[in-house]
Amino acid sequence: MMRKKTSSIYQWIKIYFHGMKTSLASRMAYRGDFFMSMIIMMVVELFGPLVTLLIYHNGASFPGWERHEVLLLQGTFLLSRGIAFPFFMGMVWNTIRRVQEGTYDLLLIKPRSILQMSIITAFDSEDLGKLIGGLLLFFYALKSVPALPLVNWGVFLLLFVFSLITMFAFGLFMTGLGIVWVGNYRIYEIFISTMDFGLYPRSIFTKVFQSIITWVIPISLLGSFPASALLGKEMTGVFGAMACSIGFLLLGLWFFHRMARNYTSAGG
Amino acid sequence: MSIIKVDKLTKTFTTYERGGTFREALKSLIIRKKKIVEALKAVSFEIGEGELIGFLGPNGAGKSTTLKILTGILYPTSGSVEIMGYVPWKDRRKYVANIGAVFGQKSQLLFDIPPLDSFLLNQSIYNIPEQTFRKTMKEMVEMLDLEKIVRKPTRQLSLGERMKCEFIMAMLHQPKIVFLDEPTIGLDVIAKGKIREFILEQNKKGTTFILTTHDLEDVEHLARRVIVVNHGEIVFDNTMDRLRMHLGNKKSVRVTTHNPLSSLNQPGILIRKLHSDREAEFELDLSRLKLNEFIKRLNEESVISDMSIENLEIETIIKDLYGREV
Repeated sequence: MMRKKTSSIYQWIKIYFHGMKTSLASRMAYRGDFFMSMIIMMVVELFGPLVTLLIYHNGASFPGWERHEVLLLQGTFLLSRGIAFPFFMGMVWNTIRRVQEGTYDLLLIKPRSILQMSIITAFDSEDLGKLIGGLLLFFYALKSVPALPLVNWGVFLLLFVFSLITMFAFGLFMTGLGIVWVGNYRIYEIFISTMDFGLYPRSIFTKVFQSIITWVIPISLLGSFPASALLGKEMTGVFGAMACSIGFLLLGLWFFHRMARNYTSAGG
Repeated sequence: MSIIKVDKLTKTFTTYERGGTFREALKSLIIRKKKIVEALKAVSFEIGEGELIGFLGPNGAGKSTTLKILTGILYPTSGSVEIMGYVPWKDRRKYVANIGAVFGQKSQLLFDIPPLDSFLLNQSIYNIPEQTFRKTMKEMVEMLDLEKIVRKPTRQLSLGERMKCEFIMAMLHQPKIVFLDEPTIGLDVIAKGKIREFILEQNKKGTTFILTTHDLEDVEHLARRVIVVNHGEIVFDNTMDRLRMHLGNKKSVRVTTHNPLSSLNQPGILIRKLHSDREAEFELDLSRLKLNEFIKRLNEESVISDMSIENLEIETIIKDLYGREV
């Protein structure tokens, strides 16, 4: 049983890397566009932190957070986005586009789970620019932070995994909606706007809003909680947010599969 | 032995009606009129192992819906389907590992990279052992004359070359059943011929094919049995020979005479086209008028200068079946 499970995980990873290689080869067929897109993505991602620098430059601040701490939070947030977008969030666009064109059928005739096929065929190399931007900002901010205990790094890594889980759950909801709500690209914009609350420390929001982004949609796990863990700041409600993240993932999986069942295909 | 069993298969869709005028479009933003469409109405049939079936029907008849249910893409509203012991929509992952599909209007190849890279991706997805993969690919590439093609980017290939690669893509995992949806659409006669040859060759090896097409030449060249659907129901299910006899023992005749045609207005003759008073095309019903008697009389009255007699075109029969109200 265990062996079978390991073998199927190995298969999953093997297919994923093959899909990634194929997608990269496709994108690299147009070299100029490949590099330009990555650079543009990286620059666009750094706009948010630029606003933070302006705020601090003008004497204002986020209460309880130093400039380099906010940058570290935003670096964490961008890092999470930089991993999620190229490696699995592409499933949202992939699904919306394929459902609209009628080529989603081609994924359903493959002997793999529809979720796996949606991810394999959606690796987005352009979004690697987001990852580079996230890494640059994270390490730039880290330079101003004194040496951190190992335990902080451990908790940070754990919470970072939870931030990816939350991102993945978001992706599942949007992909599910994309299956039944044909051609609705606004879903994506709503998601981006909602997610942007994760760019700022949780403490700057009202108590009610803090509860929402902790207990209902755990956006605070995208940047605020992992950065707080790394900096040794207070993390009230972190266990609730982690539980909420798991719940969000399970609900997302259920929702995705429910919507996939309702797929009607395009006319033939 | 039946490899596909379909029993009372029904599929209904909910669509929304919208008028053509701006006022109606505006109204539909708030109130939409629901419409239930019965795409399939209790369709039943069986297909044996190794058969090559032509699955025909006019646009919107329900053939694509049937195909999508049989390939596990759609869930039916009711009825049962059992293919190789699987229920397609319940055991989808295990089931689709044993089938292949070629969609003439939807490509499985990746546009910017060579077909070979797409084949390799399929090897991973289907978990095809390296040796089997190389052997099958080599055989198919040789059979379809694609040796120099598979390493070129797909976007540089002609439609015919691309379609041949689609076949390899669909058959690398050696499926037992292959669904073909308009596989020769837009192809020239040479490419069509090559693809038909390939299908027949694979069918000889035991692969079952279900061919959906509007190209009746494909059906005449390939299918031994034909299922015709119209308005969500099966209106014909029998052999090609029976299909040819469907409208009775009739012949298609074209004649040119030296003198004006005078004896065409009689029972058993249906004039299709009168080119001039000395040239005509018509259908001859042999159950009402014997061929030798007809030729003798025509020659005596008008003096035949040229004549061709052929079986009734399959297109005429299909048109009749499509035109019938169920």
